[in-house]
Amino acid sequence: MTDHRFDEILGRTGRDPGCDAGLDFIDEYCDIVARGDPVPERFDEFLIHLNNCRACREDTDGLLAAVREERNRNQG
Amino acid sequence: MKFDSDPILRDLHGEGGARDGAIARLHALLVRVARGEAARRRASLPARAAEEVDDLCVQAANDALMAILSKLDTYRGTARFTTWACKFVILEASARLRRHAWRERKVELDDTIWDRLSDQAPPILKRLEDDQLIRALHRAVDAHLTARQRLVFQSVTMDDVPIDVLAERLGTTRGAIYKTLHDARAKLRRALTDAGYVDQRND
Repeated sequence: MTDHRFDEILGRTGRDPGCDAGLDFIDEYCDIVARGDPVPERFDEFLIHLNNCRACREDTDGLLAAVREERNRNQG
Repeated sequence: MKFDSDPILRDLHGEGGARDGAIARLHALLVRVARGEAARRRASLPARAAEEVDDLCVQAANDALMAILSKLDTYRGTARFTTWACKFVILEASARLRRHAWRERKVELDDTIWDRLSDQAPPILKRLEDDQLIRALHRAVDAHLTARQRLVFQSVTMDDVPIDVLAERLGTTRGAIYKTLHDARAKLRRALTDAGYVDQRND
């Protein structure tokens, strides 16, 4: 029996660079997403970390919101 | 793409009034972003602490500014300069806001979570929707995790304790707590794989 309901509690497998290494990518990632560009494959490990770490996910959401807010402010 | 032509960055590398002006503009940006982050997290913060929260935002902006100025030479231009700078204040502000939200709450290992009636169980266990799976996970936790791994795993995944709050309470770093969580999850995945409940890989 295989049960994917454990995935949320156990996290995604694959290489996870952890919080410190992941934070090196957060600014570049948020700029790419804010521009609406496709996210390159080199962010795959970072995305695994975001899936597995709520704090880094929240921080990324916060930075993305700030980037969008500042962009709107500068355009307005 | 390289982003190293921002006028604030140019002026920060300058001298005198231009540099002072750039520092003032950068600080204003950092305060604004910290306050925006606090507003975004309003639901998780105590309702009557607005003034304290604003102080936290200004402190976060001040500390972020110091960090940015000391690390200016490490900016590689892979993101816009203002995005790179905002990263510092988001990390400072969010860690402070999470600690503030948890300042009156205890962090402790609660073994009763496994035996609670379904309406009081942690949401992540409710979503397993099956007592057999919960018992299998409980057995794996008891059999394979060290005491510290149990504390970190249960606190983070079931009690929703932020890892930087847990790091502060345990006197360590966010990175070290995440490593403990990662190792605990790997042990549990192996145990549940051996017991036939999950695949080793899920991606």
